[in-house]
Amino acid sequence: MRDEGKEIPKKLPGMIVSFADMAWNKTGSWRYLKPRYENKTPPCSAGCPAGEDIEGSLRLLAGGKILRAWALIKIENPFPRVCGRVCFHPCEAHCNRGEYDRSIAINRLERFIADAATQKNRRVPKPKIRRRERIAVIGAGPAGLSCAYHLTRLGYPVTVFEALPQTGGMLRVGIPAFRLSREVLDAELAELLAMGIEIKTGVRLGHNLFWTDLKGFKAVFLATGAHISRNLAIPGEDIPGVYRGLEFLGQLNSGQKISLGKRVAIIGGGNTAIDVARSALRLQSEPHILYRRTRNEMPAFNEETIEAEREGVEFSFLTAPARILARAGQVSGIECLRMELGEPDESGRRRPVPVKGSNFIIEADNVVAALGEEPELSYLDQEIKVVRGLVATDAWQRTSKLRVLAGGDNTSFRRTVIDAIAAGKKAALAIDCFIQERGLEALWPKIQIGANGAFSMRQYLKIKDRGKTRSAEIVNLSQLNLDYFAPAERIKRPALALDERRQSFKEVNKTISQELAGQEAGRCFHCGVCNNCENCYLYCPEGAIYPQRTGLGYRIDYDYCKGCGVCMEECPRNAITLEEEER
Amino acid sequence: MGNHAVSYGVMLARAQVIAAYPITPQTQVVEFLSEMCADGRLAAKFIKVESEHSALACCIGAATAGCRTFTATSAQGLALMHELLHWATAARLPIVMANVNRALAPGWNIWCDQTDSLAQRDTGWMQFYCDSNQEILDSVLLAYRVAEKSLLPAMVVYDAFYLSHTSEPVDIPEQEEVDAFLPPFQPPYFLDTDNPRTFYPLLGPEYYMEFRYQMEQAMEKALKAFNEAGTELKTIFGREYHPIEYYRCEDAELILLTAGSAASTARVVIDQMRVKGYPVGLMKIRLFRPFPGQELREALRSVAKITVLDRNLSPGIGGIFAQELKAVLVNSPKHPAVFSFIAGLGGRDITPQIIQQALEITLANDRPVAHSVWLGLQEEMINK
Repeated sequence: MRDEGKEIPKKLPGMIVSFADMAWNKTGSWRYLKPRYENKTPPCSAGCPAGEDIEGSLRLLAGGKILRAWALIKIENPFPRVCGRVCFHPCEAHCNRGEYDRSIAINRLERFIADAATQKNRRVPKPKIRRRERIAVIGAGPAGLSCAYHLTRLGYPVTVFEALPQTGGMLRVGIPAFRLSREVLDAELAELLAMGIEIKTGVRLGHNLFWTDLKGFKAVFLATGAHISRNLAIPGEDIPGVYRGLEFLGQLNSGQKISLGKRVAIIGGGNTAIDVARSALRLQSEPHILYRRTRNEMPAFNEETIEAEREGVEFSFLTAPARILARAGQVSGIECLRMELGEPDESGRRRPVPVKGSNFIIEADNVVAALGEEPELSYLDQEIKVVRGLVATDAWQRTSKLRVLAGGDNTSFRRTVIDAIAAGKKAALAIDCFIQERGLEALWPKIQIGANGAFSMRQYLKIKDRGKTRSAEIVNLSQLNLDYFAPAERIKRPALALDERRQSFKEVNKTISQELAGQEAGRCFHCGVCNNCENCYLYCPEGAIYPQRTGLGYRIDYDYCKGCGVCMEECPRNAITLEEEER
Repeated sequence: MGNHAVSYGVMLARAQVIAAYPITPQTQVVEFLSEMCADGRLAAKFIKVESEHSALACCIGAATAGCRTFTATSAQGLALMHELLHWATAARLPIVMANVNRALAPGWNIWCDQTDSLAQRDTGWMQFYCDSNQEILDSVLLAYRVAEKSLLPAMVVYDAFYLSHTSEPVDIPEQEEVDAFLPPFQPPYFLDTDNPRTFYPLLGPEYYMEFRYQMEQAMEKALKAFNEAGTELKTIFGREYHPIEYYRCEDAELILLTAGSAASTARVVIDQMRVKGYPVGLMKIRLFRPFPGQELREALRSVAKITVLDRNLSPGIGGIFAQELKAVLVNSPKHPAVFSFIAGLGGRDITPQIIQQALEITLANDRPVAHSVWLGLQEEMINK
């Protein structure tokens, strides 16, 4: 019965009550473990080369805030409509839900969000050009335009030089309309260019633009892509009726007429081969893909290969061309060799080895060689190092020449749209840091997402006023409290009926409805990120957790938190960290 | 049914916090009260809990905060509450609970038996035993009134199925009448962040006894409060309640003493015996705690024999009401002989024949023939 100077009553009270209060007893002093709120990195973001805040945009989407979800994506990626269609979505492969039931259909949600924003006429506002340093970007593909976009948003005047008559790069020449409609591509490019980016088409470095012309620019970003198709290197390659994959797609995508025979043999197992085959199908031919390894080794995105199979593309695996045959000056077939898989090569895939005497003939009216592409680098000046046919860069896209950066297909063998977008974004960061004389290496840990080179532009933009809002730790499934989740079916993704597909180049995949989008976004675990679920607040046995006045997040009253760890245990998404108390 | 009578009583009493866990044969109490809370008839917070222990813990918390609280249980559920029964009393919280008398397991048995509540004799809860559904409703109101006056918790106790599930007409008083009888609860101390106090702190040998003595005094106060309230109830509702109910006792030489619904059957038997010329009467014990010892001593002064019918068992000593009665009589000179009978355990019917048999055995013998006589036993089935 401690009284703290209060008067001691002469008689006992009617209940066992002390008139002294216990406010002096800050029971938090008993604590030897200390919980703290710490948002961690969701695996989806770490899996996205562009480091999109997928969890954040899904949370906004589930709350009906579609435009804010869109704005959040746009901070990291200028092309959500394109990516919502053609991205190979490594985020989904990293999604923890994939281990639980099935991953979130993130790709379709990105498409929904971006299309909905367009429908509501939402555009990225035109940024104010605040800086005098001019930047040149060579190549108006996803890498170059991503770099230009981010630099413009950082306030730089940017000029983009494009060799072709139209912008878009590989998005335009390499991707057929049934995967990415021209309308969507044009709209997203127009939106970007309307931000005040100067664009000069028909200008090719080394032809009608020279390094001396670039002297007025503070930095140059080389995003010239990889547009030279590899040779077949077999007899008969020059017979009329033999195409190269990218040429074929380029002609088709630019509206040129291509006359194809009935049987079209496509050689290769990459995305170009699949795109050519599916295009040929839509031109009323019978495509037949010949690949020297098996289905498992195909570098093409599995989802696209599956669609090609469903649409009726024929596949012959372990089949390598030896010679193209001609009849009357036209292709008549391919002499092939049967292959078998031998020891793994440097790519880790088993090397195909020809079976002696296994020669056989596949009849064909056309042959398309889709063996991959290489960058054209004859324009480089000698100070810029080239390794294995690629422009050599460091982790931030910087070449061996000061103020010259490079990124996209000309610097990497990971030739995907999102990798190109990520490279352009990273180059923009490196250029800004260079001009503002910020130490990129020291700054990087504060903005990086995961360990694969992605970073958060959002975090970079607010780095001055706030610390890191998400720790680098990537949350895995075992760190979630699965008692709070129930299995839920992934949405069925709507697509064009198979029998309609041959009739036109209409987009195969469709945008999902708002209802489905909300439902799918609701499946998100929000790994490692507090979404105000209230569990900690409800479970704290000390009543030492308070909702923040802002309505976002919670506050722990360490005067009374005894460090029991119930909050951490009951947090469904591992957004609370328990650490040893420092004494 | 008796269970609904409880719920109406709680509604009229304007309970503010209800926490209860369903158990047969009490379940309808929880169901009906939760419906009342859901549809707004009763402006109370209904707390769903995972056990009876938690149910009473919730009531203790809410009562400490100054709320009028209610819970209900039976048998195993009451046993699970045991620790907190003590807590509620020593904390001086006027919590009201309905307990449906049900036999304790094993063997599993959901039927009537008073041992569950009587086994909580020393927890300091007041216990009101009922023998009609009307009495159940009125007892809930009485319980709040007496509990809040004396700052002691109270149990309203009634028989499984004979009362809990049997329908009979019940007069439901008007709300204004109840409000006049039962003003809002005004605790002397309650949890108040503006006026912080320390509740139930460490209490050493220097004060513990004094608080226990105050508690014992409160029991005496409660007995007085019960009589007052029982009389006042008559002026409002026309029904009167006292610790003991006397039936044809004026000139009786032999008294039958029992509690619960067996009293209803006993009235019939008393009437029949009177017709045959036997001078018998019935005392129904309504209040088990506080035990009306003084009143019993006086009432039994001129009686030669008393038959106690217990629907309960304290193993090793016998019927509990008989024991309690012997304890209060033992120091009176010339006290009546106490004949103890046990019947109706585990829901076996206490028939008029059983009661008559108890009275006949008492009449035929000067002294009790055994410590407790078990009636209606199928002796041939017992392994000796």
